[in-house]
Amino acid sequence: MELMNNYKETILIVDLDAKQCDTESLSEDMVAAGLGGAGITAALYERYKDRDPLIIGTGFFTGTFMPGGCAGVVSAKSPVSGKLCHVPFGGYAAVELKLTGFDFVVVLGSSDSPVRLWLHDGLSDIDDASDIWGKDVWDSVDKIREAYGDEMIQLLVIGPSAEAQSKAAQFSVNYWGSFDKAALGAVFGAKKLKAIALRGLDSLDVAEGFFGACVDLKNAICSGAISGKSGLKDIARDIGIDAGAIEKLASMTHRNNAAYNCPYAAAAFVKYNEAPSAMDMKGHPAPGCLITDIRGFAALHGAGLDAGQAMEQCFRQGIEPEAAAKAGKTEGVSADAGKAAAFSTAVPASIFGSGQGDAWWQKRQALAAVLGIDPMLMVMAPEITEEKIVALVQMSAEWDEFSADELNRIAADVIAKSA
Amino acid sequence: MDLKVDARKCTGCRICEFACNYHQDETISSIGSSLMFYFEEKKNYYGMMVKRAKTLYLGRPEGEQLLKPGEQIEGAGASAKPILLRVACDCCEDEDDGPLCVRACPYGVLSLEG
Ligand code: SF4
Ligand code: SF4
Repeated sequence: MELMNNYKETILIVDLDAKQCDTESLSEDMVAAGLGGAGITAALYERYKDRDPLIIGTGFFTGTFMPGGCAGVVSAKSPVSGKLCHVPFGGYAAVELKLTGFDFVVVLGSSDSPVRLWLHDGLSDIDDASDIWGKDVWDSVDKIREAYGDEMIQLLVIGPSAEAQSKAAQFSVNYWGSFDKAALGAVFGAKKLKAIALRGLDSLDVAEGFFGACVDLKNAICSGAISGKSGLKDIARDIGIDAGAIEKLASMTHRNNAAYNCPYAAAAFVKYNEAPSAMDMKGHPAPGCLITDIRGFAALHGAGLDAGQAMEQCFRQGIEPEAAAKAGKTEGVSADAGKAAAFSTAVPASIFGSGQGDAWWQKRQALAAVLGIDPMLMVMAPEITEEKIVALVQMSAEWDEFSADELNRIAADVIAKSA
Repeated sequence: MDLKVDARKCTGCRICEFACNYHQDETISSIGSSLMFYFEEKKNYYGMMVKRAKTLYLGRPEGEQLLKPGEQIEGAGASAKPILLRVACDCCEDEDDGPLCVRACPYGVLSLEG
């Protein structure tokens, strides 16, 4: 097995009680046992569960040429369900994490004063965050990027709602919220961990033939089930979102964005402070916001709120949008919207006719969380077959012994250990 | 031949940068790429820059622009500066199956023209 094609081979252990960072090696045995992402965070959770671990992990394919290889996972005991949950995060943040030199980050204990974690170039700093504690997510992102002098820094960050440990809170990826429906943001808050800031300029090796095999799979995906579909609005139509909410979304959409290496652009940037068609750089400094959670958007629309602006308020406060919709307001929301599941319910059960029932969805989500593949793409791209996954794991890590039985075992194990 | 960017079709997936890096030094990363994504996140303003041998090509949503050495990259932000230190695009002349960034882009944004 060639670990350096997929990993930087390092686990960071952050002890907030002692304000100390340590590292240990990501071993071949750990990868053989759990492959990556939630397969390894679940094992680390078991090992450290007496110290309330919050674990951030990259998947086996995160940051590689594997189509959809954008995702990481935040694993912790949900304050809503009391069980281990895995929340995917994408955009560029998980790739950035791996390229900082840390594949996994285990945060133990809690700090007595607000802190932020700054990971860059193989270094880890626990820095004071009193200056941004109490600030909203948008101000915090701006201030952290300014403090560390780089606008490409990626962040997992919380707002006032998570600081207050509300069960309606979510952690945010940069400005735009997340798929956190399990209140893992409140776990950050309990630890007084305001943010994890990431900037990675490292690299991974690439196995012979892997690039071409990934391009072939990407081409198969593009001409498969997603062909002819475009943007979040087509997903919304397919999953039966209310027509009024879709019309609202479509009327405000500026551009559809894709996460790292994703062949479907599943995020819609909506503008409400200037014309959605405006393409010029010199426009409104904050013209709108990026929507990934269509159910949250639709719920706010259904609650009679102006969905674009209400999403912005949820993002700023760090509130899960469906909880805000249920409460009918975007400030001071404390009750959660529903029950937290092992994998994020922000991901639909079926997109473009792919769905094959609950067990199928759960396995696809477990695989996404282990492999670091975008959880939406895993639902909408049946071209990513299990056979293909096994072949690409073998090729990527030059690991011929890896088998379909192992893949099944790892997915089943993650499901069994989680909520 | 030159690499061209149809910036309005771009979705910001950034795999072109990583593919170019692979062409330039056989690893996956973005820092050695001749292509660079520039991004003003809060405005969702983004485009691609290409370091060519004698010029810098900007593929922006409002149109294309060619800069000569010494000319300012207006408004592209601090994230744009490192491109000047990068190795120039060689159009992947030694790649049998064509330019890696073009092959990797899922949205048909990039092409070799001229
Ligand atoms: S054509 Fe080749 S060298 Fe030029 S930007 Fe694309 S990948 Fe890089
Ligand atoms: S690969 Fe294509 S869509 Fe993605 S950032 Fe590059 S040019 Fe844009």
